[in-house]
Amino acid sequence: MATAQPGTKSGMTRSERRRLIQGLLFISPWLIGFLLFTIYPLASSLYYSFTRYDLLRDPVFIGMRNYTSLVTTDSMFWVVIYNTLFYVLLAAPAGVVSAFLMAALLNTKLMGRPFFRAVFFFPAIIPTIVTAVVWQFLLNVQFGLFNSILQGLQLPTIPFLSNPAYAKPSLVMIYIWAQGNAIVIFLAALQDVPRQLYEAAEVDGARAWHKFRHITIPLTTPVILFNLIMGFIYAFQEFTLPWLLTGGGPANATEFYTIYLYRNAFQFLRMGKASALAWILFIIIVVFTAVLFKTSARWVFYNTETE
Amino acid sequence: MSDSKPNHLTRRDFLRQTSMLSGMLLLAACAPGATQAPSSGSEAGPTTAPAAPEGVTVQFWTGWGELVPFFDELKDTDEFRELMGANDVVMKPTVKTEALLTAIAAGTPPDITSEAPYQDLMAREVLLPIDDWVNASSIIKRDDFIQGNWDRGYYQNVQYGVPAWECFVRFGLDYNARMIEAAGLDPDNPPVTWDDALEWHKALTQFDDAGNLLQIGLDPYDAEGGGIGDGFLAARSWGFDWFDEETGEFNLDNPKMADAFEVMGEFYRIAGPDNMAGMRSVEGQDTWGGSYNAEVQAMIIEGYWHPGETMSQKPEVGKYNRATWVPVPEDRRGAKIQGTGGHYVIFFKDAANAQAGFPFAEYLTTNTACNLLFDNVGWLPAYKPYLDQADANKYPGLDFYFQSVKEATEIEPPKNCPITSFVHDTYAQLREEVYRDKMTGAAAAAEFQKRCEQEWKDAGFAA
Repeated sequence: MATAQPGTKSGMTRSERRRLIQGLLFISPWLIGFLLFTIYPLASSLYYSFTRYDLLRDPVFIGMRNYTSLVTTDSMFWVVIYNTLFYVLLAAPAGVVSAFLMAALLNTKLMGRPFFRAVFFFPAIIPTIVTAVVWQFLLNVQFGLFNSILQGLQLPTIPFLSNPAYAKPSLVMIYIWAQGNAIVIFLAALQDVPRQLYEAAEVDGARAWHKFRHITIPLTTPVILFNLIMGFIYAFQEFTLPWLLTGGGPANATEFYTIYLYRNAFQFLRMGKASALAWILFIIIVVFTAVLFKTSARWVFYNTETE
Repeated sequence: MSDSKPNHLTRRDFLRQTSMLSGMLLLAACAPGATQAPSSGSEAGPTTAPAAPEGVTVQFWTGWGELVPFFDELKDTDEFRELMGANDVVMKPTVKTEALLTAIAAGTPPDITSEAPYQDLMAREVLLPIDDWVNASSIIKRDDFIQGNWDRGYYQNVQYGVPAWECFVRFGLDYNARMIEAAGLDPDNPPVTWDDALEWHKALTQFDDAGNLLQIGLDPYDAEGGGIGDGFLAARSWGFDWFDEETGEFNLDNPKMADAFEVMGEFYRIAGPDNMAGMRSVEGQDTWGGSYNAEVQAMIIEGYWHPGETMSQKPEVGKYNRATWVPVPEDRRGAKIQGTGGHYVIFFKDAANAQAGFPFAEYLTTNTACNLLFDNVGWLPAYKPYLDQADANKYPGLDFYFQSVKEATEIEPPKNCPITSFVHDTYAQLREEVYRDKMTGAAAAAEFQKRCEQEWKDAGFAA
């Protein structure tokens, strides 16, 4: 910590001040970008959330009306809240569990392991639009591959994406399929677990399940926490896939928060209301993340605790 | 870095020059462009006939992709050169609405556009009034256009759009005569009422032994049946005004709207709502007609372009196409309804060369341009001199639309409602609630009214 020195107004020597200025100048391209493309839009959207703004005319300040009307008179708001929470609470934990199990499997001495690792990572690098088209081709009730097989067998088809009861679970299934990034992160964590702990457990007669339960899982809990938080944030912001696959239907079953936000901003020309929706989503995500961090003390094990 | 290393002047120079360069770049980025809007882009609008500056490029954005194959041909004509002079038109096709809105919000709209939410833009004061240009034009004359098409280019008595692109009429029940005959129906006696149409729908809708849908008769919400922007079919067919442009009052909570929800929903109940959702989703978003072209849908409610577009996309299906009046309820038997609307050339206030784009709108009414559009994509203008000489039998089913202009008992433009997009989406949501039996038609009509009134108020249009 700097201490005030005699003869300097700011508590810095001329040399220190010069070095500070030089440092600031060196990082100025990033600072300018951060201010222009992050802070300014953030501040603008906060301001717009208190206005009636249609993108095309000047915003008109209306105080808290966007927020209050969302909660009190907008019947769709609670529909999208329910849809989003349903999806998030199902997809994010299921995604973490499946990615973890898949990574554990890929961490064993499996034949063709590099090949399978690449295969499981593929969904992470495929553009979402391609993913959507492929899944549409697989799941469509009339012309999809799965249902064509069922039709060929004279069996009733399954309306994966066109029945309100199946649409959200179908999207969760696709979410679980696209866990390549989480698998890679889990793989790195699994390879970090000290071998000697397994060897010691084997000497004590531990079986595979016991090693997995008492060594692997505890030592990877920090990464589980990380993937869970990232999963929650990603699931809350899910837009492209449901938009392309179902457009929010059928019967509003997949009208998620961000789809409704987009609809208000660019279809109904209600950018002020959309900004309010964005800030409410931000608060929801902050609360979710804070709760996760709060509970993490009970179940996350950091290696440093043993040192 | 070691402190003992000499701190040469060059580093300071480097920093000074870098900061100066950054400052200059920042200033350059913030500076107005070299091609800022001329005075013609003022809010008061133009006061004289178009006098475009020489040698400018008019930026034309459109949501269509159909123009791409022959847009160069459209420009490579004597009439284009004569009207445009040294100016050129560059098209940016398949522009989504959000891209257009973003450009407008950023103050960098295109000069002209088509296939856009016209009413929403007119009501929000981003377009140039063009009354003076039109008055000064020797080519664009009010009497030469079908009145309904012309009127839709106005908002609150100010003209913003020239009905220069595909316009003409919007409603017809197109059907595939081959499929109709195969189902044991008579293609020479098409449905007149919704009850008749439902009987055809039942006869044409087929399932396999496992109950899987194979083909449908009619999806009344497909294409022009389900939209609002080009005219609200349910309101037209049942015969009520859903919106009062003068007072801003909605009239959606009424028995006719409730009946429309129930009757049109019955088509979905017969084929199965899940099946219909699947059929619509394979066509993707913002497209229609795919299932008609694939001959798994026998009837479709479409505008005059359907015969030409089907012939262009799938001639083996287009040759069986026929068209008739859209159905009406039994108590309106005999009403022959038709609607005008379509696509306009509109001009943006903040654009650099909007005025230079006006001759392009004039050019689109020439025989040369109209022929190219008609031949390539089957599009027709609202321009009567061209319609009088166009071949009404060029595509199977097209003659109905020509005749309908003379024989219609009711022919109107769509309502100019500034929250059309909201009404459209709400209508789609509520009708699904009805045909999935989660809501009655009456409850949906009441909810429709309530939501539209609330949005009208929240969007700032209420007095």
